Amino acid sequence: MIALDCDDDFATWRDQARVLLGHGIDPAQVNWGQGPIQDLLAVADGLPDGPGPFRAKVPAELLAQLQLAARYRGEQRWNLLYEVLWRVAHGDRTAMLAGDRLGSELQRRIKQVTREAHHLHAFVRFVPLPTAVAEQLQLDLVAFHEPAHDILETASGHFAERLGRQRWLIATSRDGIRYDGKDFDYRRQCPPEWRQWAEQADDPDADLWLTYYRHTFNPARVNPDALRMHMPGRFWRHLPEGPLIPRLVGLARQGKQRDGQAQEVAEQGGKRISVVTR
Amino acid sequence: MQLIAKLGILADAAKYDASCASSGAPKRSSKGSDGLGATNGMGICHSYTPDGRCVSLLKVLLTNFCLYDCQYCVNRRSSNVPRARFTPEEVVRLTLDFYRRNCISGLFLSSGIIRSADYTMEQLVRVARLLREEHDFRGYIHLKTIPDADPLLIEEAGRLADRLSVNIELPSDASLKRLAPEKQVATIRQAMGTIHRGQQAVAGEARAPRFTPAGQSTQMIVGADTSDDRTILRNAESLYQGYGLKRVYYSAFSPIPDSPDSVPLAAPPLLREHRLYQADFLMRGYGYKAGELLSEASNLALDIDPKLAWALSNREVFPVDINRAEPALLARIPGIGLRSVQRLVALRRERRVRYDDLIQLRCVLDKARPFIVTSDYRPALAETRSGLLRARLRDPVAPVQMGLWG
Ligand code: SF4
Repeated sequence: MIALDCDDDFATWRDQARVLLGHGIDPAQVNWGQGPIQDLLAVADGLPDGPGPFRAKVPAELLAQLQLAARYRGEQRWNLLYEVLWRVAHGDRTAMLAGDRLGSELQRRIKQVTREAHHLHAFVRFVPLPTAVAEQLQLDLVAFHEPAHDILETASGHFAERLGRQRWLIATSRDGIRYDGKDFDYRRQCPPEWRQWAEQADDPDADLWLTYYRHTFNPARVNPDALRMHMPGRFWRHLPEGPLIPRLVGLARQGKQRDGQAQEVAEQGGKRISVVTR
Repeated sequence: MQLIAKLGILADAAKYDASCASSGAPKRSSKGSDGLGATNGMGICHSYTPDGRCVSLLKVLLTNFCLYDCQYCVNRRSSNVPRARFTPEEVVRLTLDFYRRNCISGLFLSSGIIRSADYTMEQLVRVARLLREEHDFRGYIHLKTIPDADPLLIEEAGRLADRLSVNIELPSDASLKRLAPEKQVATIRQAMGTIHRGQQAVAGEARAPRFTPAGQSTQMIVGADTSDDRTILRNAESLYQGYGLKRVYYSAFSPIPDSPDSVPLAAPPLLREHRLYQADFLMRGYGYKAGELLSEASNLALDIDPKLAWALSNREVFPVDINRAEPALLARIPGIGLRSVQRLVALRRERRVRYDDLIQLRCVLDKARPFIVTSDYRPALAETRSGLLRARLRDPVAPVQMGLWG
């Protein structure tokens, strides 16, 4: 058994996989460890020497797909990729296709990773820093987010497109990224002070968004299952509107809401408009 | 009045418009520049409200003062609601603030009619101009169009906004006359025509200034009058054809506070709305005609989806051979969506498709089974009568509101 570690880094894995493929090594013979080595008694072999005799040709499209799927955090993260690579290199292209058992898992991972990038674009919430702090830290906006897969580095470019020359950072419990208006600074280990700035930022104007959220909701249509389907509970924690959700659902369910209007509006005095008839 | 109090009133007043889409805009970026905002064609839902609807835009009215008296509308002049009015600068401030926080991807601005149609339209255009010109805002802008406004104003709006919409409001002329006496089908359609011509004038001219690149949409209220689904879908079809609309939104009528006797007090007909969206999707994406979907009944079935309903009343077309049929026919099999069709076509280029492949592709086999043939499967149920099949395939419970709000 060959035991390998690629430090969850795609380029390292790719170099390793190329050598293994060159020596014709079957996927059953290799294991990429995740965390500490599971079986302490097994004598692990390393990578064979040299590139090996077998020159495999694989479509460029496969490499792109493997690179995407590699961002998926989960069981058999690197082993699965090698199995796909091995089968395609030996002429079995169905290993890439959703109709195949392995291919379907590959495609599922790609889909999860793509979705998670989309979740980042959707659910990151920046807090604007007050001018004095912004000058001191050279930062305009800070956010804390917890992606389920390793997408922060590749998916964050989106915010440079949206925010122009604004300076921002996104901290997570693992990695972090900062943008100074020109260049990105990606860290595999998020510096603790970044995390602290992001989690402890003061937000005196937070109420505007909460007010909007409360009022754009139509209680006559309450449907928390649909909400949960589109926006799983794990995101609520980092969304300012998250804590409002159960309360709004509760109010709507109590039957006080027979129509679409929010209670706060109903409680205010109304005004009919009279027009001079033409 | 404080900004936050206005926001509460004017967001509450705008929530009955179903559209919140931010998709279809051309690629724009602020990278390395002073402005703010980007679009890439894909919409983003930044949140969902507890009714399961996507929050993509700041959707507010400029004001809920209104001279008109549309019976289904909470802002009609005879309604006893609190009133407020934003200045254009206030809307700009809110848009930019929410945008920087990544709470929204743009603005959807509408308004009650104040003073005159032209004046109201001018105010809406002014907000868009401030955003685009003073603040270099490159995010998404959707403006509601006031039908009676001067076509020149509508054209100006079309150059600033990604999307314009004119609401058709009700499915039939008679209902519009009865429930929205100040509005006229003729001017609504004229405004749609103005927008459509603006789009056609720049179509195919790469260097022409953009005109509503994300298209035109409209909204029809369902359940405020007695129109049947056939009337609704025929009307939608004619709008798609006549004015090249991108989307028709169907909004289940929500009872409003202080409701006049002319409109129902019942809970919004959400399942009916859902079926209409499904049927609409079949017309836009799958090539079904309104007449095909409602050839026998005048309303869509509530217990089964319209695609299954069509298959059950067209049994002579089935079973379809997955290995041979044209993609367009594959797409008519219940339980097999457009994406699965693409994947099946890719797979059958490599080898014969088997029954298990459909499981791998996560097709809804309970629905598909009676209608397909694969290299190793033929339906024993092919002879089963449609009535029995229908009873078997009926949706067990009301489906959750699906993600059709893109
Ligand atoms: S014009 Fe009619 S629908 Fe529009 S705000 Fe006024 S009353 Fe409501």
